[in-house]
Amino acid sequence: MWKFTVRRLLIMIPQIILLSIIIFVLAKMMPGDALSGLIDPNIDPERIEELRHMHGFYDPWHKQYADWVGGLMQGDLGKSFRFKMDVTELIGQRVVNSFWLSLATLIFTYLLAIPLGILSGRYNDSLLDQTITTYTYIGFATPLFIFALVMLWVFGFMVGWFPTSGSVTPGLEPGTFEYVLSKINHLILPSLSMALIATVNTVQYLRNDIVDTKQKDFILTARAKGAPESRVYNRHILRNSLLPIAAFFGFEITSLIGGSIFIENIFGYPGMGQLFLESILLRDFSVVTAVTLLFGIAAIVGALLSDIILSLVDPRIRIK
Amino acid sequence: MAFLEVEDLKVHFPIKGGIFGRTIDHVRAVDGVSLSLEKGKTYGLVGESGSGKTTTGRAIIGLEKATAGTVTFDGQDITNLKNKSDVRKDVQMIFQDPYSSLNPKKRVLDIVSEPLRNYENLTKKEERIRVQELMELVGLSPESILKYPHEFSGGQRQRIGIARAVALKPKLIIADEPVSALDVSVQAQVLNFMQDIQEELDLTYLFIGHDLGVIKHMCDNIGIMYRGRYVEEGSTEEIFTNPQHIYTKRLVAAIPDIDPKNREAQRQFRQEVKTEYEQSFNDYFDEEGLAYQLQPVTETHRVALPEKG
Amino acid sequence: MATSTAKVSNEQLKAQKSPSGVNIIWRELVRDKLALFSLIFLILISVFVYGVAIFLDQEEIVRVDLFEIHKPPSEDFWLGTDYGGRDVFGQLIIGTRNSLSIGFLVTLMSGIIGIVFGLVSGYYGGHIDNILMRILDFFLVLPFMMIIIVFVAIVPEYSIMTFSLIMTAFLWMGIARLIRSKVLQEKELDYVQASKTLGSSNLKIMFTQVLPNISSLVIVTMTLGLAANIGLESGLSFLGFGFPESTPSLGTLLSYARNPQTLEYRWWIWVPASVLILLLMLAVNNVGQALKRATDARQRRG
Repeated sequence: MWKFTVRRLLIMIPQIILLSIIIFVLAKMMPGDALSGLIDPNIDPERIEELRHMHGFYDPWHKQYADWVGGLMQGDLGKSFRFKMDVTELIGQRVVNSFWLSLATLIFTYLLAIPLGILSGRYNDSLLDQTITTYTYIGFATPLFIFALVMLWVFGFMVGWFPTSGSVTPGLEPGTFEYVLSKINHLILPSLSMALIATVNTVQYLRNDIVDTKQKDFILTARAKGAPESRVYNRHILRNSLLPIAAFFGFEITSLIGGSIFIENIFGYPGMGQLFLESILLRDFSVVTAVTLLFGIAAIVGALLSDIILSLVDPRIRIK
Repeated sequence: MAFLEVEDLKVHFPIKGGIFGRTIDHVRAVDGVSLSLEKGKTYGLVGESGSGKTTTGRAIIGLEKATAGTVTFDGQDITNLKNKSDVRKDVQMIFQDPYSSLNPKKRVLDIVSEPLRNYENLTKKEERIRVQELMELVGLSPESILKYPHEFSGGQRQRIGIARAVALKPKLIIADEPVSALDVSVQAQVLNFMQDIQEELDLTYLFIGHDLGVIKHMCDNIGIMYRGRYVEEGSTEEIFTNPQHIYTKRLVAAIPDIDPKNREAQRQFRQEVKTEYEQSFNDYFDEEGLAYQLQPVTETHRVALPEKG
Repeated sequence: MATSTAKVSNEQLKAQKSPSGVNIIWRELVRDKLALFSLIFLILISVFVYGVAIFLDQEEIVRVDLFEIHKPPSEDFWLGTDYGGRDVFGQLIIGTRNSLSIGFLVTLMSGIIGIVFGLVSGYYGGHIDNILMRILDFFLVLPFMMIIIVFVAIVPEYSIMTFSLIMTAFLWMGIARLIRSKVLQEKELDYVQASKTLGSSNLKIMFTQVLPNISSLVIVTMTLGLAANIGLESGLSFLGFGFPESTPSLGTLLSYARNPQTLEYRWWIWVPASVLILLLMLAVNNVGQALKRATDARQRRG
């Protein structure tokens, strides 16, 4: 067990190094540099050249890379020329919003997946199961952004139940009850839209797993010994099928990131995904670099967590 | 020099372990096997599962990399030779499982002509005629060459495998348990057929198996393997009438005798061997439970006994 | 029983030909009514959009006409016009054609790379396979959506070709992984070993012996991949990182809905494209799932 965890942790080190190199190369390929935004256009171009030398823009690449990584270690992600502030600070505001959105999405995803999966698997081939399966089938084929647009159109504009953009109603005092309520209200539609699509894979997995497990010999044995049906499900089947599902959340992070770019864009939600798109369009590349790096690390760490939890739950995985 | 000469052959597989997945130990699948086989004869390699008999065969034909030792065939060193060469053409193999050894997506024509396409330049028509001849040779209808393997029974499939193996007119055939996946009723048929084509095509067999009855029927010489090493080697006569090693004795005693008159004698013999086996099994193996070096008993008969003294 | 010799005529032999894998798949597909319907729908749509697109002048359609802005559907414009006064119906036809084309192109390119990579990695195994798979694992974890967007944003001389190359660069890995694990199982089978003893080269074994045996997996993966790629392309175009506006795709039409006014009041611009994407993806998925069932004997419907 420890061996697996240590090995898995060690694998993560080259992964993060590789990620940082890729992003560094991407950053170098991006047109313009931090100075092109920092400097007043009235300043003499010679002075800019001087500054560039001073900031090491003409150093060999490995030195530049080392300086960049060194900066990262101290939490220095560079400066945004658009917002004229440190990227760290800028991201700080957005990351909180993104965190709540992701959390709400994950909660909705499992809140939907577990009962639907269990019902569908337990009463497989019933009308209920067929309905749920049809839903997963259509959900699997539906692109997230189309679904989100429709949700926004229907519940945001036509029915008007939910706000159509932002993360909170402007003018409310942070910390007040109204403020929190407004925050939650702004979260529901985006996170529910994402969850309704993201959950279908989990529902399908859970259903198939339960259907498979139902026919295993140890379940037949439990039944043959006279265990009541509820006990068979709670003690035997669910224990086997639910734990792996719970561990998948780490893998979900990658798709959550992809999804949040669409969702935040469509719902005008000021999170990391929105920041990423804005910065790309405004060519604010130090922000782009920082966001990509953070998302990359989040995905790597998510996969790490899932792998480790899965190895706890299912010893067979450790062999690999 | 014999036709096929295997000298101190070793095949070791690494065991990976630890945090960095380094090699921490080896499985000694074949650990110092030597054998020699005369042209036109059949040599039987016997052992239980995991004794290394199949690995030996696969190392001879080059499917496993030999860790050490040499394989000499017809005067040429063929140890760890690359896939395609003219010597390889002369050594072919019949596989144990007639189901997985034929590509399910290929027609019989393509299966049997695969070696022909690799080594001989035939026109489509010549190729088809050759395949049909081969099918006839193995007793299958030449019309069925456009069928797929799943349309044949196990015995028929094994015949297709044999047709493929003899297509290049090889000199040596390694038969890896060629009948153990077949129904007993079909086994004898295939075995007799193998003997027929041995005569017809002047073949030499290395016959790998675990069924001593089959081996006795097929082979001139026998080697018995246990955990990667030889425990005894000799002519069929010597092994069956005068087994020296306790492991061999136990195997020989286990062969059922159909003659009812011998039944009582058989039972007694078996009992004796069993007692000896239980009492002195450890004397025949070293501390690790492996066989000792082979000691000659007669010119052809060698047995792995601890050195006397 | 083998009395006649090699003089059996070709015609006779052909008549005995047994159903091959492709035939089985085809039979299953036809039996599955929904999938058959989806397939017919896809063929009709393709024939229609490729056919009609020949008669449409793309330049004409994407030309801005400020006098016809945001016109609702009428006799002149069957599906109204967008903010540039451009005919939505025409854009829909051309957009569908473009989306389908790039979907096919990217699926094909990523499929070929993935197959070759998976075959080589799985067949040779060992250290190379280990290292390659570690790298693949890494890329599969990364949020590739973002990286594609970054690439699209910084690549100089952006065109349809560079766009499809960028997509391909990040989409072959999943296929490679799938193929590789199947090849790992397949290469242990005796027919591969047999081919080696019969003198076939490794390359020949990989492509003529192993590949036919994983063909069903390839077909299923590529079909499902096609659906995913059409979705991905329209998603990227929706965000403004796909097709340029001068070359409309289905996603381009949807991107107009990012304007709340359009979303709320001008349904004719984005709803038809949404429905079309949805139908296309459902249809391709239906076919893919039916193929999956067909290739998995346990799930076959009879």
